[in-house]
Amino acid sequence: MHCVRTAAADLMRPTLPRENKNMPQDDPPLTSSRRAFLGSSAAALGGAWLATYWPQIAAAAHAAHETAAAGGAMAFQFLTAEEAADVEAIGAQIIPSGDTPGAREAHVVHFIDLAFAGFFAGEAADFRKQLAEFRAGCGTANADVAFASLSQAQQHAYLQSVEQTPFFGWLRFLTIAGLLASPKYGGNKDGLGWKLIGFEDNHVFTPPFGYYDRDYPGFVPYTDAGRKT
Amino acid sequence: MTARRFRPEDLVDFAVVGSGAAGGVMARELSQAGFSVVLFEQGPYWHAGDWEHDELKYYMLNGITNDPAQSPQTFRKDPSQRAERISAGNGLYYARRVGGSSVHFTANYWRFHEIDFIEHSRLGGVPGTGLEDWPITYAELEPYYSKVEWEVGVSGLAGASPFDPPRSRPYPMPPMPVKSSGVLFERGARKLGLHPFPAPMAINSVAHRGRPGCVHCGFCMGFGCEVMAKSSSLYTMIPEAEATGRCEVRAESYVFNLPADTKGRLTGVRYFDRDRREGFQKARAVVLCANGAETPRLLLNSASSRLPNGLANSSGLVGKYLMFNQGSQVGGVFEHPLNEYKSAQVTRLVHDFYDSDPRRGFYGGGGIDARIGPQPMLWALREEEGAPRWGAAFKARLQEFTHSMAAWGHTTSLPLESNSISIDPQLKDAWGVPAIRTTYRDHPDDLAMARFLREQGTAILEAAGALRVGREPIAESQFAVHLLGTCRMGNDPARSVVDRFHRTHDVRNLFICDGSSFVTSGRGQPTMTIQALAFRAAEHIGRFARANEI
Repeated sequence: MHCVRTAAADLMRPTLPRENKNMPQDDPPLTSSRRAFLGSSAAALGGAWLATYWPQIAAAAHAAHETAAAGGAMAFQFLTAEEAADVEAIGAQIIPSGDTPGAREAHVVHFIDLAFAGFFAGEAADFRKQLAEFRAGCGTANADVAFASLSQAQQHAYLQSVEQTPFFGWLRFLTIAGLLASPKYGGNKDGLGWKLIGFEDNHVFTPPFGYYDRDYPGFVPYTDAGRKT
Repeated sequence: MTARRFRPEDLVDFAVVGSGAAGGVMARELSQAGFSVVLFEQGPYWHAGDWEHDELKYYMLNGITNDPAQSPQTFRKDPSQRAERISAGNGLYYARRVGGSSVHFTANYWRFHEIDFIEHSRLGGVPGTGLEDWPITYAELEPYYSKVEWEVGVSGLAGASPFDPPRSRPYPMPPMPVKSSGVLFERGARKLGLHPFPAPMAINSVAHRGRPGCVHCGFCMGFGCEVMAKSSSLYTMIPEAEATGRCEVRAESYVFNLPADTKGRLTGVRYFDRDRREGFQKARAVVLCANGAETPRLLLNSASSRLPNGLANSSGLVGKYLMFNQGSQVGGVFEHPLNEYKSAQVTRLVHDFYDSDPRRGFYGGGGIDARIGPQPMLWALREEEGAPRWGAAFKARLQEFTHSMAAWGHTTSLPLESNSISIDPQLKDAWGVPAIRTTYRDHPDDLAMARFLREQGTAILEAAGALRVGREPIAESQFAVHLLGTCRMGNDPARSVVDRFHRTHDVRNLFICDGSSFVTSGRGQPTMTIQALAFRAAEHIGRFARANEI
């Protein structure tokens, strides 16, 4: 797995291991009145629009997340308990816990489970096959002890030995996505991933945005003519 | 407003195919000039409230863009190879929505410079390439660049760059507020004797023409704007076209064939509606604005027994000379927080390396801008040379997010006849329409220029005081969002597809205006020029129509 980009392009396109087949369909449909509002009152938009409408949007997103989280200890929809334990342990090696939360606390394994039960369902069989190969390989190398039951050092050593495999790349992609994608997909629990990196999912910011633009004196025009030809 | 609806049997003046940067302008200009227009769009009609801050959906699940499962493509590096599907999906990536890729663009709106139109005569050509002068000059296009800036809406600071070409009007809006990346970039670049300047962006810095100023949410690149501050065709040109009462936006209507009568005149367009039923719209003339991949595909797929090589293809150049723009990326980490995830992607850039310079030893030119790169997930997935990819060290890198920025280079691509859009001999899309086959390999000079700008970007970040600089690999292109050159403009019908007024040399009532019209690639920000061309083309097309010359 690697993140291929059009180097010049202004849009970046990370590759997926396979193209997906299904879009999530969990977004509440817009009411026609809201659509009409959006189409007709452009001049009134901006901060005022968000102040009016964002609470509704945020509430809908929150409700979707609550539904997903309602089961307490969430049941897995695709992974078996053994598979889930190994997937979670791999994720915890890729983005470990410590002073700050890692993949485990962010519920990355639930993101991966829901992905293969849903929007990556088309890849589920292939994923399961590759996961089985990983588990078998790990068992062969570690006296039939499951990956999740190995010591941290053993886990690390085994992952190093398979670091170049497509399966590891796939898990790495899924772990990062599960840490940082919208919480509505089952990972990034309580925004832990976003908090870890310092990202705020707000819809309005005002300058200054960071340390260095606080005291910007203003753009000073050039007195030379550059190297104009 | 009540949008106009036409019946298929109504003879409309124009069928415009594609509702993006060019198609939006075309529909607005022609309908405001009094003509009836049906604006065809493959994708659905989404509005401001339909967008979300959802990286997974928009980047991984084709939330806006062409879906590889429905619209597959193949790719190969040169014509000797058999083209295959890319396992990751499609190589060519564009929005499939009303507004086209102007919905999800980053909104960098650089004008081309005078040199872009006359490079062949200035440089004397590059052997083995199709580098040629445009049939129009910067001076001819200048009034239309100003039209884009004022009527579509661009923020910027006129005269700030000593390299800027002449302009007739200032920008209508001040530049976007500078971000920390812009301040640092400016500091580093000025130290090196360069001339960083406020980036021209098609985003409202203040309210303009009934749309609000930006609220700095940061989700521009790859996303639809939730407050209509980004100057997409969706929010600018298309509502104005509909307001004339003479333009119908026919969404989820996929034009797949252009039938002609026995005299070779087009009679209209054949399309699939949202239920995949075939329809036909009669039209006096057709304007293709479907992008540099879909436009040549439609011409090639309209081949007939009379025209086995495809429509408007007597030159054999339909689909040829595809250009993507190359580029480079360098990241820098700084002591204090920048919080680059906020606000528009770019606030400062340099054009000091815009012109090709023989002393570098290769053809090429470009610009470098200051930005974050993308939002959290894509940022975390980027590949930096030599960086840890997992474990505690990787996690520590993730935690540098708010302290990071990037310098991206945007460069030329030479026009090569072997780089092309053609029709895959086997693969068909979900509608049964033969699929796009892309053949592309960067000219060595394109890669050399990208490496050169990566060095300059590194130097700028180091001069700005970066604690650490990380470079991303430069690779041969396989993925592209800039689709240029495939129906190039020219005076000679044997060496070009459209004339200087965007009329095809072969078919009197067929016009083409989009990225396919480009003769050269510019320096990596084509949309401004696509729209300036569209304003100019619409004026001439309207003139021909009034004079009964179509």
